[in-house]
Amino acid sequence: MKLGIVQGEAAARVTAGALPAIGPNLPYDEMRDEKGVVRPHYAALAERIDTLSADELGERQRTLERFFLLQGITFTVYGAESTTERIIPTDLLPRIIAAEEWKVIEAGLTQRLKALNMFLADIYSGQQILMDGVVPRDLVLSAPSYRREMQNLFVPHQAYANVCGSDLIRQEDGQFAVLEDNLRVPSGVSYMLANREASKRVFPGTFRGAGVRPIDRYPDLLLTTLKSMAADWRPNPQVVVLTPGVYNSAYFEHAYLARLMGVPLVEGRDLVVHDNMVYMRTTTGLRRIDIIYRRVDDDFIDPLTFRRDSGLGSAGLFNAYRAGNVVICNAPGTGVADDKAVYAYVPAIIRYYLGEDAILPNIETFLCREPAQLSHVLANLDKFVVKAVGASGGYGMLVGPHSSKAQQDEFAAALTADPDNYIAQPTIQLSTAPCLIGDEIDSRHVDLRPFILSGEKIVVTPGALTRVALRKGSLVVNSSQGGGSKDTWVLTDKKDLQP
Amino acid sequence: MMLARVADSLYWIGRYVERAEHLCRLSDVMLTATLDRTESATQIARIALAAVGDPDDAGKARNPYEAALALVLDREDPGSVASSLGLARENARQVRDQITTETWERLNLIHLRMSDPDAARAFADGSQAFLHETIADLHLFKGAADATMSHGEGWRFLLLGVYLERAQLIGGLLEVCFGDRKRRAITDHSALTSLLRMACALEPYLRVYTADMQPRFILEFLLLDEDFPRSVRFCTARIEEHLTSISRHVEATGVSGPDRLAGRLRARLQYADIGEVQAGGASAFLGAVLDECAAVHRQVYETFVAYTLEQRLPA
Repeated sequence: MKLGIVQGEAAARVTAGALPAIGPNLPYDEMRDEKGVVRPHYAALAERIDTLSADELGERQRTLERFFLLQGITFTVYGAESTTERIIPTDLLPRIIAAEEWKVIEAGLTQRLKALNMFLADIYSGQQILMDGVVPRDLVLSAPSYRREMQNLFVPHQAYANVCGSDLIRQEDGQFAVLEDNLRVPSGVSYMLANREASKRVFPGTFRGAGVRPIDRYPDLLLTTLKSMAADWRPNPQVVVLTPGVYNSAYFEHAYLARLMGVPLVEGRDLVVHDNMVYMRTTTGLRRIDIIYRRVDDDFIDPLTFRRDSGLGSAGLFNAYRAGNVVICNAPGTGVADDKAVYAYVPAIIRYYLGEDAILPNIETFLCREPAQLSHVLANLDKFVVKAVGASGGYGMLVGPHSSKAQQDEFAAALTADPDNYIAQPTIQLSTAPCLIGDEIDSRHVDLRPFILSGEKIVVTPGALTRVALRKGSLVVNSSQGGGSKDTWVLTDKKDLQP
Repeated sequence: MMLARVADSLYWIGRYVERAEHLCRLSDVMLTATLDRTESATQIARIALAAVGDPDDAGKARNPYEAALALVLDREDPGSVASSLGLARENARQVRDQITTETWERLNLIHLRMSDPDAARAFADGSQAFLHETIADLHLFKGAADATMSHGEGWRFLLLGVYLERAQLIGGLLEVCFGDRKRRAITDHSALTSLLRMACALEPYLRVYTADMQPRFILEFLLLDEDFPRSVRFCTARIEEHLTSISRHVEATGVSGPDRLAGRLRARLQYADIGEVQAGGASAFLGAVLDECAAVHRQVYETFVAYTLEQRLPA
């Protein structure tokens, strides 16, 4: 997770000039229906907020921020005079999802990850789907995220992407759609868990009454998932979390997960590969490692196989993996399935492997590599969101309706020069949720990132990270671009409650 | 069994935290003593500054407030309290998965206060209160570690750092006061009291020796007392205890572990006699103790942290 501006700055920009709402449709409001009536699943929270004064809300927001500061969920700002710690912007009002809506999301995400894992297993073995022409061969094999080194390598349960964080958005009509699949090293799960801790402190009464589904089993489920990837003949497999180190912006998350799973947090310099076995340097000598939950990108895990200038991984790691002596989670090369161009084919991929229609729709996507689609995109640049295929984190992106003529010209030139590298999607009005901005409650656009685990089986944690575009009118929720986050309550189905 | 890098970090957290506490106490004693404009006040300031390794600078001793301010808050100086705590906290961040949330929160809180832009003003408003609070918070940190962390290997590395640092700091302080024959002997009552305060030893000393302030008794108490937690002897006993426990798991062949050195050091202090120490010169004795502390530190590194792979690879 990249770090961006902080709360104070975001608030200051709002007054500087708010962007008008765009598009023909109004965004879906999470809390109120078209008539302005509070939706039933938001009723308890709305009532609670009404009883609180602006001062009390502000006080609760400060309690929340203090919790994050104390926990060290911060990033460092280096100033001329002194260095200070800032917290990641966090909003205290939870986003609530009704039980029946969550059922659809859960089924849709399970289906999608199942198909994507099958796709990866196919791509890295017989490539049947390419032979059948469902996905263009050159699109897959020329993708930088395709790892030839993974060809014909056995992956237990075909679970390539053990941890997946999909980005969902709610469209104007209230339907959830998948915007992006993150199958490489998705982050943010610690914020999901920390936000929950915090909101239990801030709204204990409302929380108790609402019937929120618990998410605190996530570390436990993650460990089970990782262990299910081990070879049978290794009892009590040694699991570790591999982090790039303390200067990585997601370091807090790496340490957090290692601590809650009770496994060592290692860096590349702690690892030694000898005879195709991976060891860590301990106080009592070298100790064998079986499973590595790596939070280091493919490119950096092994300087002998991938980027030679990387000091973050360990030399020889990939060969040890190929030899079957260690498991790397997520498997290298999963990025080929969350490639922004391959994304357009995911509904077809689901139909191909499972014979089902996608439960969660895609956003309509135009591939600029197709000449007809490119000219359509070029003619309507002011209406599209254009994304570079390889980029992430909200970089290399043009939001048409919010862009200047100069920016559009710049992208038009780039698209024409390298069409393979771009896709375009219509600008979707993300749904809005109430947020505390300064002393007042106001609407901001939000998305939804649930986390899905896949090992022996696929499990969707009943919760998510809701990312918030803190700048009024902004549709970009990435924390590197002025985004914050808030807790997400998935409610229990009343039918499932114990009498 | 734990990561060598993690053990290293925990050990240094212990050292830095202990160092910060000692510096706070020295600054506090110096500031309190120099409220009286007596000659012994300057002497106390000189002792404090010499004990923290500042060259005997008469100018600094004459301006104790500035000296204390720099000692506590100067971030340019890697040895200041603020820097030590920053380093302790940075190490803690790197092993965040190994320490409990309760322990982490204490340390994080102290660090945040120290690095707050308003820290200098808080120090100016009431430096003694500021120092007193910092010391109390550091006690809370140690208490949280003791009460919430498993008393296993990691906790022992933390305490190993604390006690090794403490042995060296108190040893260094004694060397300044009693080691150098050229220096004017400390006889003044208030200077002797301040010396005990620097080691947080005044009240425990009074209970043993009553208000009879004798340099010889003070040396004996701070060096050889069995029960006082800041005496060098007490520290070496803890160092041996933790090292013995840590070393149980290491099957380092052909390496003489640090526990042997620690045992010898502990014995040196356990069986020492103050009369003999003074007859042979306190300086020589203290020098030997400090050298052995340094040797234990080196040996800890060679055995647990920076060992060569050849020794440990499976055959």
